[in-house]
Amino acid sequence: MPPQEEYSTGSRSFWSWLATSKVYQSVSASLLGTKKRRLVLLAAVPIIWAIVANLGPLFKMLDISFYDAYPLSKGREATYTIAAWREFFVTPVYYIPFFRTLIFSGILTFATLVLVYPVAYFLARHVPKSRQMLFLLLVLIPFWVGEIIRTYAIMILLGNNGAINIALKFLGIIDRPIPFMYTSFSLGIGIVYLVSLYMLLPLYSALEKIPTNMNEAAADLGAGPWRRFWRITLPLSKDGIASGCVLVFLIATGFYATPVILGGPSSTMFAESIANTFNVAADRWPTGAAFSSIMLITTLTLAAVFLKIMGRRGKGYL
Amino acid sequence: MTRHTRLIMQMVYWAFVLYLFIPLSLMVLMGFKDSKFIGFPIKSLTLHWYKVVIQDLELMSVFAYSFTIAISSTVLAIIIGTWAAMLLSQAKFKGKIIVFALITLPAVLPGIISAIALRIYSQTLGIEPGMTAVILGHTVHNVPFVTLVGMARLNSQPMSHVEAAQDLGADNVISFFRITLPYLTPALVGAGIFCMLTSFDDFVRSFFLGGYEPTLPVYIFSQLRTGMSPEINAISSVVLVITAVMGLAAERLMRRK
Repeated sequence: MPPQEEYSTGSRSFWSWLATSKVYQSVSASLLGTKKRRLVLLAAVPIIWAIVANLGPLFKMLDISFYDAYPLSKGREATYTIAAWREFFVTPVYYIPFFRTLIFSGILTFATLVLVYPVAYFLARHVPKSRQMLFLLLVLIPFWVGEIIRTYAIMILLGNNGAINIALKFLGIIDRPIPFMYTSFSLGIGIVYLVSLYMLLPLYSALEKIPTNMNEAAADLGAGPWRRFWRITLPLSKDGIASGCVLVFLIATGFYATPVILGGPSSTMFAESIANTFNVAADRWPTGAAFSSIMLITTLTLAAVFLKIMGRRGKGYL
Repeated sequence: MTRHTRLIMQMVYWAFVLYLFIPLSLMVLMGFKDSKFIGFPIKSLTLHWYKVVIQDLELMSVFAYSFTIAISSTVLAIIIGTWAAMLLSQAKFKGKIIVFALITLPAVLPGIISAIALRIYSQTLGIEPGMTAVILGHTVHNVPFVTLVGMARLNSQPMSHVEAAQDLGADNVISFFRITLPYLTPALVGAGIFCMLTSFDDFVRSFFLGGYEPTLPVYIFSQLRTGMSPEINAISSVVLVITAVMGLAAERLMRRK
């Protein structure tokens, strides 16, 4: 065989050499010999990862939340206490931001749904299939940019010398700039700006799947456009609404930097309360762990209840 | 729907597009403004702030640091995520839905909770805040995404190819590397680009898991606390352009049939 040809088939010969090599065959037989062994080999890494990297941190957080102090000074053993959990329920400075975060995120989730539903509907039902990707990409691109940069962009929009105030002044509607920044309003605008994609995609994929002939059939039977929407489109897009709302809610409750940058003293979010327990003296870690646990349990429970109400089942948890 | 409602929806769509693009466009515009003061009116334009950014050595090292973290966490996420996708789409076993839920769990955890839990966990494991902790944090966050993209691609794979390879004497490992992996590659490259973007853009994990050396978003955040500056606009605009180009490339790769 001329050397050139041998070179060009180099990778192929590596695999056939491997497959025929005695050492590899015996290794292969011992590792992949039976169906059970193959499953173990395939399952070991992902399952260990899921337990160590995904569950481990949550359980450790729950554990630390019952410590009396952490990190521990040398030679000191931790004693278990519910002090950190108790602190949450007796301190308004903590539970007020907590309930504010839940209510605020709930309102923003609903606002996002109302804003994004027509957008998703338009994309899925009115844009011709060949151009859907283009129209979708147009709204996707801004979401690839990170949280901090987009939050900063909102700052420029809403500042006292920002675009909106200047435009309003120019039109003669106001004399003095409206202080949008550092309020619940600026924070709301910012969070909707950050999360609307997570509403758009589930809604779009749910709406896109609805066969058009259902609407046609209803129209033939005399249902008007609104009736068709309420009786056919909306119920059939329920799965998209459920996933979108849950995703947006969970993500909205978890923002830390955006409330710090866009929010003000009257819109302190619970994420800030949690973070503050890590900024000051180190022995407040159990408090932060307890707060995070409370928030995790609450948000996941609310999400599960919501999915249950929306009648999602048997399709994975999202 | 009537023509009327259709028109309204079209207007809502374009209003939404404006809502998404106006803040970013203003940010880019301010990066060219010939004054240290962010806001209107704009008197003249300059490239000065871009020169300042390029000559800023500290900023360049922040860029390099973020990039190293993005690459490392992406490689790890691709390996683990592909492995999980193979398990979830090819094997049959009891409790699959539970394994799926566990593997994709980080995708639905609120950011702050994920960051705090990982901060505590890395402390108990003896990993000091710093590059290793951030890389692991980003990997945890990215694995679900790779798994989901990988599963979607594997669902469309013709099994006959794998069966043919195995009839010809390839074992599972060889048929994975020779048949399945090449089939998965475009989707994985696309997912990898998105993982890099997510890692590069991530704030909350980098902030809590990072040591003294900041990643780019953490750096911008600390600059923002001392006030806005046209330099931040220039950096952000560069990141915006890189992100858009990479995202479009990834999108193409992931949707290729």
